Formats: sequence, C-alpha cells, structure tokens
Amino acid sequence: MAKEKKILNVVGKRKVFYSISCGLIALFIILTFVLGLNVDIMFKGGTILTYSYTGDIDTNGVQSVVTDVLGQKSTVTKGENTATKQSTVKIQLSSTGGINEVKQTELQVALEEKFADNELALFESSDVKASNGLDFFLKCMVAVIFAAVVTIIYIGFRFRKIGGISAGIFSVVALLQDLCMVYGCFVICRFDINANFMAVLLTILGYSINATIIIYDRIRENQNLKGSKLELEELVNLSVTQTLGRSIHTTVTTVMAMAVVCVVCTIYGVSSIISFAFPLIIGMLAGVYSSNCIAPTLWVMWRRHAEKNPKKSKSAASKNSGRR
Amino acid sequence: MRKITKPVFFIVLILILGFAYLTYAGIHTYYGDIRHSAIKGVDEIRWGIDIQGGVNATFEPELENEDQKITENDMDAAKAVIEQRLVSLNITDSEVYADYTKHRIMVSFPWQSGEEDFDPAEAISELGDTAQLVFVKGTTQPENLEDETVVLTGNDVKKAEAGQYQDQNTGETTWVVSLELNESGKQAFADATTELSGSGQISIWMDENMISAPNVNEPITDGKCQISGNFTYESAKSLADKINAGALPFNLRSTSTNIISATLGEGAKTAMTIAGIIAFIMVAIYMIIIYRLPGFVASIALLGQAAGTLACISGFFGNIESFTLTIPGIAGIILAIGMGVDANVIVSERIKEELNNGKTLNGAIELGYKRAWAAVFDGNITVVFVAIILMGAFGPTDSVFGTLLKPLFMAFGASTAGTIYSLGYTLLVGIVLNFFFGIFCSRLMLSSLSKFKAFKKRKLYGGVENNG
Repeated sequence: MAKEKKILNVVGKRKVFYSISCGLIALFIILTFVLGLNVDIMFKGGTILTYSYTGDIDTNGVQSVVTDVLGQKSTVTKGENTATKQSTVKIQLSSTGGINEVKQTELQVALEEKFADNELALFESSDVKASNGLDFFLKCMVAVIFAAVVTIIYIGFRFRKIGGISAGIFSVVALLQDLCMVYGCFVICRFDINANFMAVLLTILGYSINATIIIYDRIRENQNLKGSKLELEELVNLSVTQTLGRSIHTTVTTVMAMAVVCVVCTIYGVSSIISFAFPLIIGMLAGVYSSNCIAPTLWVMWRRHAEKNPKKSKSAASKNSGRR
Repeated sequence: MRKITKPVFFIVLILILGFAYLTYAGIHTYYGDIRHSAIKGVDEIRWGIDIQGGVNATFEPELENEDQKITENDMDAAKAVIEQRLVSLNITDSEVYADYTKHRIMVSFPWQSGEEDFDPAEAISELGDTAQLVFVKGTTQPENLEDETVVLTGNDVKKAEAGQYQDQNTGETTWVVSLELNESGKQAFADATTELSGSGQISIWMDENMISAPNVNEPITDGKCQISGNFTYESAKSLADKINAGALPFNLRSTSTNIISATLGEGAKTAMTIAGIIAFIMVAIYMIIIYRLPGFVASIALLGQAAGTLACISGFFGNIESFTLTIPGIAGIILAIGMGVDANVIVSERIKEELNNGKTLNGAIELGYKRAWAAVFDGNITVVFVAIILMGAFGPTDSVFGTLLKPLFMAFGASTAGTIYSLGYTLLVGIVLNFFFGIFCSRLMLSSLSKFKAFKKRKLYGGVENNG
C-alpha cells in the first residue's frame, strides 16, 4: 500500500482564498480606473491603418499629412513585424463614422507623395463602427448568462444529491471569479478588449465549469460511499485531496500547451495570438484554483448556514433527506 | 470488456494511425494537371480571414428617406444579390450573413496576396452597387436600359416568389417562380408577351448574367406570370430572391471594411502549426512520464482526436462540409484536446488509485474507466452546451442551432464573429471525438495491452508492485 496522502485542509483556509480573490478583483477594478481600458476599435469605433514601409519615416510627418487630408488628429506609432522583418507605421484614428474608401485612398496617395522614398504600402486597414462592437459585446453577455443558467440547471439535476442548484450557483460564482482574473490579465497586460477577449472568456467558461464538476463528482461519490460518516468539511477536504493529482496534471499539460503557443507566437511576432493564449493560461490557473478552493468551500459554508436556519432555506430540507 | 484480446490494441492503433495519415495527406487523383480530391487533406483546410488574410465588409442600405421600411424579404434579396455577385467575381468561398434587425449585410471572403488579378477594394465597391434586373425580348443582352428590346426593369416587378404549379393535363407538380408586376410593368409586359406569344423567348438578366430565358406560351395581361423550368424549391426561391434583388429599393453602401493582409495571416498559420506540433509532443512526453502505459495509450488516443478534429474541418467526411478555421477555432481545438488530456488524466489517476487500494490489474482498469466516466461525462457535456450556445449565437442565423436559439438572440444581429462560431464548432467536434477516442478507444487499447505478459507489471500503471 502506498503511503497515505496528507489530506489538505482547504475548507479551513477558505477565508484566505476569499481574501485573495476579493483583493485581486478590487485591484483590477482600481487598475481599470487608473490605467483605463485599451478598448479595441470594435467597441470604440474608429479606424486603424497600417502601412508597411522601407527606410526611415517621421511619425510627426505622417501625423501632419493625416491632419491635412482628413482634418483630424491621429496617433501614429511605428512597429516592426518580427516574422517578416517588415517595418510598419500604424495610424490610429478614433472616429465614430469610420474612414471611407475614398478618403483612405486620398490619404494613401498623399502619404505616398510625401514619403516617396519609403515605398509605402497598405498593410492592414481596420474600420469598425462602435455599434458593431457593442452588439457583439451584449450578445456575448447574453450567451454567457444563458450558458450559466443552463449549467446551473444541469448541475442542479445531475448533482441533486449534494444540493444541486446551490452547487450549480457556486460553480458559477467560481466561474465569475475566473472571468475576473482573465479581465485583470487584459487590464494589466494592456491587451485590447476585442473578439479575442470574448473568445478567452467563453473558453475559460467551459474549462472552469469542467474543473468544478470534477470536484463535485468526487464529493458526490464520496457521499455515496461514506454517507453521513464524514463531516461536510472532511468530505470536501478528502475530495479535493483525492482529485489533486488530476488537478495538477491537467493544469500542467494544458498550461504547457498554451505556453508553447505563447513562446512560438512571440518568436513569430503574431501578437494577436499572444493576447489570446496568455490570458487563457491565467484563466486556466484561476480555474483550477477556484474549482478547488472557492466553489466547494462556499458550498460547505452555504450548507452550514442552511443547517443553522432551516426555515430560511428550502435547500436545507432537501439536503437533509439527501444526507440521510 | 473482458473479451478484449491482444490483437485489439494493434487493430485500434493501425486504424488511428491510418486515419491520422489520411487526414494529413488526403487521397487525390489526377487528370492531367487538375487535382481531384477523393478525400481532402490538411492542405485543403479553408483558413479563415484571420489566418489566410482576406476581406471583410459590412453593407448597409442607403435609404432615400427615413420613412422607408425594410422587410426581411428585402434583406434576403440583398443577400442574394451579393452572393450572386461574389460568384460572378469567382469568389465561391464566401460567407454572407444577413442581419434583419439592424439591416446589415456582412460579407467576408478569404483573399490571398498572390492573386494579382483580383482587387478586393474594387470587389467591395462592386458588391454594393444596385442590382439591375432587366427583362429582354430574345436572348441577347441589351446595350443599355433604353434599348428597344428591354421590356421591363427590376423597378417594374412588384414581387417575385417561389410557388408550386400543377399541370392541369398531366397532374404533375413543378416549382415555378411567380411574378407580380406593378402598374407600369403590367402594360409593357402585356404588349411584349402578346407580340412574342408562342414563338418567342423573354430572357431575364441580372447585371451581366442571364438568370433564365422562359418561353412565352401566351399573352399575359394581368401583370402576373410564372417562370417555369426545371426548378427545385431551392433554385426557384433563389431565382425569386434574385428577381426581388433587382427590385431592391435601396443601394448598398459599405460602412466598414477590413482588408487583412495575408502576410500577417501566414505568420499566424505557421506559428500555430509549429506550436501545435511542439505542444502535442510535449504533452505526450509528459503523459508517458507521469502515467507510463496509460499515458502512452492516451497519447495515441489524443493523436486520433486531433486528427478527427482536423478531418471535420478539412471536409474529410463527405457529409460534413469543410469549415473555415480561424485562430479562436484553433484555440477551440486546443481546449478540446485539453479536455481529452483531462479525460485520460482522470482515468489514469483512477486506475493508479484503484491499484493502490489493492485491486487486481484487470479490476483496476475496469473500475478506473467506470468511476471516471461520470466525471468525464458531466464535465464534457457542460462544455458541449457552451459550444452549442456559441454556435447558435454567432453562427449563420438560419443554421440548426441558430434557429433553436433565435428567440434568445433575436434582438442582436449576426455580429461579425465567425471566429467565435469557429471556436464553438471546433470545441463541439473535439468533445464529441473526445468521447470516442479519449474514452472508448483508449479503453480498448489499454485493456488489450494489459493482456500481454510484458505489460502486467503494476508499476507500468503507476501502481506499487506487490507479490501477487
């Protein structure tokens, strides 16, 4: 027989976990106000024009051409694509109407005239209305809320022996925590809030719920096997400890895979993928943390609370019948 | 599962390897220089705009006044015009979504920088032009609308719709396109059909293309007529849409245009491919080190799962259409494979646990899969829900899941989020395959391997060696 594993006391440390989570979320809210959000044109509306060029180019010169042709201010930044080694100049125009094709052509002609030696060529042109993005954002929110409701109902049905709906709600609480961590990652890393952001949120949604369900499954199984012999705290601690191997190895493999994506994309300079892969790593780490430390401990607290106030809570009755 | 014998492992292994190879290479036959794909390989995967580069444009109607009403029929018709134009521009690989509530049409099509004879900016401005429909005496395209052979233009058609027509003599039912003309068109059409009755043809043109050239059987004076031909419901509806398109009351202008260069995309494609291969090898090595034999089996199952997902994207299976693969789509694959790893990890952990509880090897493998099943099933099924919601929310409005979730997302348009749709699709496919490869195939392989004497050592399964 193998040496008995030491059973982790996650329930006992729950206040530490809640403090960390709440502290981080508070920090992200403050940082949002301090740093501001890099909202992609898809939510803000505007135009980003990227030109490739050779030689050296004066950003102030580009800026003045833009002002002459379009009559508005712009932010001009230079860049280099590591994959192609191509120099690029990016013109960001915050405009609600977008820049039409005619104006774009006018601008390009003017730029080519002024910087004749730089072989300017349009590399990328993005022109998005704010309403486009808002639509998308709201639609994502509805999708997330609907997915959460479906999950709560499903967990409520499949895990009715361990207090179904409440377990479902806490899995969603854990999920929200993970989404906040992903959001914080976007704020701190200054990644644009764009379609990638939504894709990460939706991916983590699936990942986090899966991770929580694995723990719930073990709680459900241990409850069936050991019945009411164990206190709730012991039951949760035992279940978390038993699934620890799975938690670690799954997290290591998935995070490792995404880390490879990050490294390779850094080498190739495909920044759009890094702003997807890195927050995904953060979300995965948050997911394994919340599914082990937040969802099951909140569930224990709720059950204890329900026991103390049987009249206040309907689930206390169902819980008692389930436990006996 | 006790009947699983030694050869089972090799059969499953060969099937998976063969399948993976076919997915990669495909099967092609050559007629001279023309390659015909019996089975599509990975090189035929339709890469999304974000990876391959391309053009993405949003169109909105240019209204003459604010009171002008736009119906769903108008939007369908506008969509048909754009599709028609894309085809005539030789862009068959396109996605056109209509947005009924916000009155938008979103067009995206891949575009490669190598295509020198194709100018995407020109294509977009052409797509937005008003469609011009003309009815002509005879089958020759008129020089202009003032040509004397022109009978009607799109402005004279009040409404066209697909309908069924039963021949009174034979009783045969065929699909037809019913036309209803407005007052200005009624007289002109009556005159022309009287003139051509019995002997002539009237051809119907949209822009440069002849849609149909029906024979004139009898004079039509009531402003109603039917175009017969070898129509199916689809082709009749499509023609009706196109005729309605000619009668479209508005011009379309592009409100948002994205030209995404292929250079940026190519880098992404190469980076993701390399990252995928490296990540797979690293995960396989990790699994084998940690779980030994079950880890080895898991790696083979993962290969099958990855190949299966790619096969569903490339159009390997004849009944599944090829699918556009975008960067979030690739991430969906990674997540699904992550879930596959997870399933194998859960099973392997469970087997190890059962062995350490003193179970026999066979018993531990049996129990490992049995006990892990509930967790894997519940975890995967919730992700399936998420995938379906994503597909319904961000996919084509007329798809199965789209129709299912229409009440929920009715207030929103078909947002430009084919990428998210792609994520939902790869996730869904990946998880369905996870059940097949990650659970079913790996169970077959592991049970089979455990029959070999060389693989009876409990250590190979993470257990502790005992003397029994």
